[in-house]
Amino acid sequence: MSVTDRLPRTGLLDGYTRAERGVVGFVVLLMLLLVYGLVTGGLGPTYFLYLIGLVGMYVLLSFGLNAQWGYTGLINFSVAAFFGIGAYGTALLSADSSPIAGNMLPVVGLFVGLVVAAVVALVIGVPTLRLRTDYLAIASLGLAEVIRILVQNQRNYTNGSAGLRGIPGFFEGWPVLETFPQAMPTLIVERLTLTVPFLFEVDLFGFRLGQSFWQGLLNVSLVLVFVGVTYAMLRRVHRSPWGRVLRTIRADEDLAEALGKDTYRFKMQSFVLGSVIMALAGVFYAHLNLYVSPGDFEPINTFYVWIAVILGGSGSNRGAMFGGFVVIAIREGTRFLGDLLPAAFPTLGIPFTDLVVSFPALVENTYATVVSNFASTRLLAVGLLIILVMRFRPEGVLPPQRELIWPEATEGPDPGSDPGTKAVSADGSGASRGGQTDE
Amino acid sequence: MSETTQPETETEESTAAQQATEEDPDGGFQFGGPEMHDGADLEKEDVVLSVEGLQKTFGGLVATDDASFQVERGTITGMIGPNGAGKSTLFNLVSGFYEPEAGSVTVNGVDVTGAEPHEVAEKGLVRTFQTPRKLEGMTVREAMLVGPRSQVGESFISLFTKGDDVTSQERKNLEDAHRILEEFEIGDLAYQAATDLSGGQMKLVELARAMLAEPEILLLDEPVAGVNPTLANKLSDQIARLNEQGTTFLVIEHDMEFIMNLADPIVVLDRGHVLTEGTPDEVRSDERVIDAYLGGGA
Repeated sequence: MSVTDRLPRTGLLDGYTRAERGVVGFVVLLMLLLVYGLVTGGLGPTYFLYLIGLVGMYVLLSFGLNAQWGYTGLINFSVAAFFGIGAYGTALLSADSSPIAGNMLPVVGLFVGLVVAAVVALVIGVPTLRLRTDYLAIASLGLAEVIRILVQNQRNYTNGSAGLRGIPGFFEGWPVLETFPQAMPTLIVERLTLTVPFLFEVDLFGFRLGQSFWQGLLNVSLVLVFVGVTYAMLRRVHRSPWGRVLRTIRADEDLAEALGKDTYRFKMQSFVLGSVIMALAGVFYAHLNLYVSPGDFEPINTFYVWIAVILGGSGSNRGAMFGGFVVIAIREGTRFLGDLLPAAFPTLGIPFTDLVVSFPALVENTYATVVSNFASTRLLAVGLLIILVMRFRPEGVLPPQRELIWPEATEGPDPGSDPGTKAVSADGSGASRGGQTDE
Repeated sequence: MSETTQPETETEESTAAQQATEEDPDGGFQFGGPEMHDGADLEKEDVVLSVEGLQKTFGGLVATDDASFQVERGTITGMIGPNGAGKSTLFNLVSGFYEPEAGSVTVNGVDVTGAEPHEVAEKGLVRTFQTPRKLEGMTVREAMLVGPRSQVGESFISLFTKGDDVTSQERKNLEDAHRILEEFEIGDLAYQAATDLSGGQMKLVELARAMLAEPEILLLDEPVAGVNPTLANKLSDQIARLNEQGTTFLVIEHDMEFIMNLADPIVVLDRGHVLTEGTPDEVRSDERVIDAYLGGGA
């Protein structure tokens, strides 16, 4: 696959597939937009950092689901539940409004959140993972609702629908980092007005980088560490014999069994691993948002993550990362896009007035409704995106590499070296070697 | 499981023994005798796989009815029978994919009745499937690497604590994979996508991969179904070669020419039980076998 859409060498992006170039282009464009927003003051730096934090959180969630569905083919519809378990796990322990414990160190919350997620994953996995994957899908769908309703109604333990406030930042109790935001000076960037005579006049900058900015910077660093460590770990296990068994199970579970692999054990490990990563995202979210509520368990969060993984390319860690990015772009971008579009249906100038008049009122009304409620069209956008991806690129934007073998084992002399001559000599078919791993 | 079925097993053994006495001691069979089936030879010396009185029903259908047979080490044992005789069901019972209602399965002297398929495989019994199973997104050599049993790198923890062991074992397995593919004369396929192979090539790869698992006994379910004659000959040669190197085979096959040239002895299955067992020539000239294929007493 990757071979056919490899483009001729054109310089800057040599050795990348078309999809990879597209992704690079998309990310660069998004970055330019964000920088534009930052420079013109349309996007506050603190909010920008918050967005980056959300991206990191979605990337983690996508990693988690990818480890379950992408690797092993486990259909988990309770992403939001494991996310919420992580978030509530740390919030209940560290928030000062917590009805049960409270005011404990967030690091303890992190640990407890992850352990509880692992235990819940085990509990749901034991009865369902011996059966076909459909049963896990159904059970997990139920689990998500059960946990959401439990959290909403057990007020004595969870504060119910009021949620939990007063969650400290993640670094509370750490030597230097705890007071880092307060200790940093407030930077004030003066507003600049750039004037090009007769053409335009723009206001640039004009913001204060105060305590919340430094706090945001700290959060972003934290999520970068979380994402980095998780990615490094997943990359290692994905290319290992362990990951290979998971891929075999996804393709054909009976085959894995016939070759002596205890598929139940592997499925359980994959499920618990993914759930713990989702809980890690939840822990981060609690300390980013400083407030958690039962709304965080809403099924829509599960489906955003599914979209991220399908879009990115199931089974691919890079794809999951990209998918997380796109989902935030859609989720947050739709908030602003409505403001950018003209509120009334464009009238295409005076010469065409006759034409415009002939537009049915229905079109104009629909347009006005859509623009004024643009944020709620994001589900439509998401749905369209999924249809387009499924239609034109069912393997996702960045499908996994073609061959995943423990990297150190293929270093040095390749055991299958010199295949060019063999390919011809063996039976004359001259079978192409396909795209040997080069990504 | 084995404890609960023990009493039944004993009764099955006695029936089996009874049947054995009705057999001619020197292995010949009495044609047209009063017994419609005289079963398999159950007094082999070095037995790898022993099946006794297996029973399996699906609703009202008795798929496997008191099936007993043995596979001797170093043989290629064929298994034939008309459609619906229960060959595939028997394979699934033996390899652990189905749980028998009665009877026992013993691999290398270890009782594996009712065990999970991977436990049976751990004991040295590996099987292939009738329709080749393609591994999406893998290259052929990658798919081959799933074969070796009990790899260090299949433990999640070891990936981080014993990285060097994983590397050295993976390197060895990779070399083995390439070597075996070369021996099968399909070394040039190593880097191809597993999904791009033809059905016949896939069967060869499956056989090659099964060899990486170093089985004591390999069960092949219709290895040449849908394979062109050239590849079928190649498969036949490979099976014979591997057998000479010491692997025991149990082969289900509909292609009579293929199985008669390759296997000895041949076990004939009819309506869930073992009809008879003998050399290809004996089986070929046995009226009961012909009757079974032509539809009973028609």
